Amino acid sequence: MIALTAPLALFDPLRHAVGDDLFYWAVSPAIKILVLVFLGILPVITYLVLAERKILGFIQARVGPNRVGPWGLLQPIADVMKLLVKEDTLPIQAVKWAFILAPCLVVAPALIIFAVIPMGPRAAGGKLAWYVTDVNTGVLVVLALATIGVYGLIIGGWSSNNKFSLMGGLRSAAQMISYEVPQGLALVGPLMLAGTLSLVGIVEAQAKAGWWYLFPQLVAFFIYLVAGVAESNRNPFDLPEAESELVAGFHTEYSGMRFALFFLGEYANMIVISAVATTVFLGGWLPPFPHLLPFLHVVPGIIWFFLKVVVFLFAYIWFRGTFPRYRFDQLMDLGWKWMIPLALLNIFATGLIKLLLAHHP
Amino acid sequence: MSQPIVDPRTLPDDDRLFAPEEEMELNFGPQHPSTHGVLRLKLKVDGERILDCYPIIGYLHRGTEKLFELHPFFQNVPHTDRMDYVAAATNNLAYVGAVEKLVGLVVPPRARYIRTILAELQRISSHLLWLATHAIDIGAMTPFFYCFRERELILDLFEQYCGARLTLNCMRPGGLPHDLPVGWTDRCRTFCEAFPPRVDEYEGLLTDNRIWKKRTVGIGVLAPEVAIDYGITGPMLRGSGIDWDLRKVAPYEAYGEVEFDVPLGKNGDTYDRYLVRMEEMRQANRIVLQCLEKLPEGPVMAKRPRVLKSAKESEVYHGIEGPKGEIGFYIVGDGTPQPYRCHVRAPSFINLQVVPEMSKGALIADLVAIVGTTDIVLGEVDR
Amino acid sequence: MAAMKRFLDKIMLLDLFAGLGITAKNMMKKKVTVQYPEERWEPSHRFRGMFRLDEERCIKCTLCAKDCPIDIIYIDVSQQLNPETNKKEKVLDRFDIDVQRCMFCGLCEEGCPTEPKSIWLTTKTYELASYDRWDNLYVDKAELQDWRVRPAYTDEEIA
Repeated sequence: MIALTAPLALFDPLRHAVGDDLFYWAVSPAIKILVLVFLGILPVITYLVLAERKILGFIQARVGPNRVGPWGLLQPIADVMKLLVKEDTLPIQAVKWAFILAPCLVVAPALIIFAVIPMGPRAAGGKLAWYVTDVNTGVLVVLALATIGVYGLIIGGWSSNNKFSLMGGLRSAAQMISYEVPQGLALVGPLMLAGTLSLVGIVEAQAKAGWWYLFPQLVAFFIYLVAGVAESNRNPFDLPEAESELVAGFHTEYSGMRFALFFLGEYANMIVISAVATTVFLGGWLPPFPHLLPFLHVVPGIIWFFLKVVVFLFAYIWFRGTFPRYRFDQLMDLGWKWMIPLALLNIFATGLIKLLLAHHP
Repeated sequence: MSQPIVDPRTLPDDDRLFAPEEEMELNFGPQHPSTHGVLRLKLKVDGERILDCYPIIGYLHRGTEKLFELHPFFQNVPHTDRMDYVAAATNNLAYVGAVEKLVGLVVPPRARYIRTILAELQRISSHLLWLATHAIDIGAMTPFFYCFRERELILDLFEQYCGARLTLNCMRPGGLPHDLPVGWTDRCRTFCEAFPPRVDEYEGLLTDNRIWKKRTVGIGVLAPEVAIDYGITGPMLRGSGIDWDLRKVAPYEAYGEVEFDVPLGKNGDTYDRYLVRMEEMRQANRIVLQCLEKLPEGPVMAKRPRVLKSAKESEVYHGIEGPKGEIGFYIVGDGTPQPYRCHVRAPSFINLQVVPEMSKGALIADLVAIVGTTDIVLGEVDR
Repeated sequence: MAAMKRFLDKIMLLDLFAGLGITAKNMMKKKVTVQYPEERWEPSHRFRGMFRLDEERCIKCTLCAKDCPIDIIYIDVSQQLNPETNKKEKVLDRFDIDVQRCMFCGLCEEGCPTEPKSIWLTTKTYELASYDRWDNLYVDKAELQDWRVRPAYTDEEIA
């Protein structure tokens, strides 16, 4: 497999100035984080907002925003400016520290997860890799950080001192917690096939096996996708922020930049779940059929990764435009009574097949 | 009545199901995206479950019935537009029908057919709006835009006929103010022929969708006896299985001369009412096509005096099948050109009575579906 | 057999995919957006827009004021001596309409007995917003005859 390396020569002067150890342990991750967050995730999130409005418009027989710039391409800038200059309200009876803390608790974990998601292959000997860090329990880190995101919603809903927000917060908490379990269980299937918890290791195992884990683990993929949509509070599971029922759910009382952070957090969650699904099920940076179609390796891994994430994001938006909303208790029914047994069955079947194949190679 | 509606504030403390501090009182509206106007529902909830629901109306009261008494009969037609503002033509039709009965006018056949066409087009348009708002309340965003796309075509037809899209003022006692413009029948026919595939499109998005079914099957069940006791009419009654449609029972205008079916539901839940209304749209389409074929020639306004006077101490009630139920006008005349009293039997006002009945024990998310399926328009409820 | 098919439908989520197919098909279809104000939708000939008065045709019968359902037409008529014909004839002193309250129902146009009508609403003008509330309060006689039509397609007026 051709490993594309980062243009290391550019950083040589810095490396010599700071020293090898410090460079690989501190400076280069810092640079990568800055590039990733400010040139990668945040622009993608803002343009994802525009893409959602345009795609929803196209589904609904209308054009989305097209006034601000050609095809509305400057609309995200207008949105950001608007949110920045809006009045930052703080209800008098709200619990102030919790009110201010809640949006940060939603955004920060979503951004942190990107540190462990690989967008390219491992670096061999003195080269920069395409990921910030390779934790050897990467999947657990992802799941743990996703759970912290739930706190933000609960605290936000409760601290607003508003009955509707409280109900929205409670609903979303119950929903997210009950879909954490199927999400984790769905990821166990590919883990069993890959034999490692590290995300980079999972992609490399897919490369070695020659096919994406989508094909042997179709059921797990489906469960992960559904649980992911529920985790990020999107249609058809967006009851916590259902506009027509609770006005705006847990973020009713937020305005201006705080609301922007909630918004950002939701879209960042979407991207995170797409990225994790891409890595675990769709082969991360691998082209389709890596052994059978070697000419596809010409395209760098990060482009494949980006394309696959875009496919998931499009699917998210497509679902939003098509499906009605599940009612709260039906949502929980689905999670506990259908997703978990199905995921357990999947684990059992995977284990059984692996055992049989080991005995009869 | 199966269960009397009791004002929960009058219950003695030991009669309550939950201690007062465990109940939460929630105000649903009057400003709320899904109450279709300014309806206020005072809910007593335990978590998500509704213990009691107490509707408070009157936020849109404009004194329409008093306004009727101040002007002669034909000047009141624009006021009737604004009651059920979604379906103005059927309001007009009920009013002019009542006035014609009172004063004793005979409408020429061409006017009767054109009025039927307008009323059925209005039924389609009202049901499209109902579907749009009901779907978006339950969470499906796209039927809203598709329905409004079709509704635009109907509103264009109305605008070419009478000059306005929403508040039509398109009928007068004795007939119609003007005849159809040139080419209107062709445009109408084009629309009607293109319409059934669109209904199939909405059905494809919603009818078999498991999420839609989970949200609507078994929700808001209305038993037939309860419906009759409360005086419910329209698709709500037919969704519970009772075959009562004024167009068949007491045909008016040209309904006696066209063929159409009346869809009935089985279980009286939200899903059945949804199916009933979808099928009504198709049947209305069928009626319009038949009327267009059978349209006779002739005048559109009866011979009538310039000033319509009612006989002294006369009264009349005339009800028609509007999209939401039976809309009726009770007019008392006293010999002058103005009515002495004009009372409106508004279907939404009467259908709203069963919302507390249907929503006891449901979740708040169901309440939204229930209010949506009752298809209320606050202009009618409050007048 | 039918039960088996229903079971398979449920498992394979065919109903959900059908919905996705419908929205995907609509993504490709023509969009119905009208880019206002560059593109304007032209109303039909019978559209009831802003009304216009023609004083010469008016016979000062005040039927329009009597027919208005909300009584917003205010007419004052007086008898004056016409120096040319040396006869007394009616002159329109005041003809004000409160446009804020008008609901454009067209009953005044229907009531007008002249042929062609002296007050008519078929001017295809629906853009009546103004920056000041008092601009619309009493649109007096002179303005009712001379107001500038705004969009291009109403240059040819319907009498």
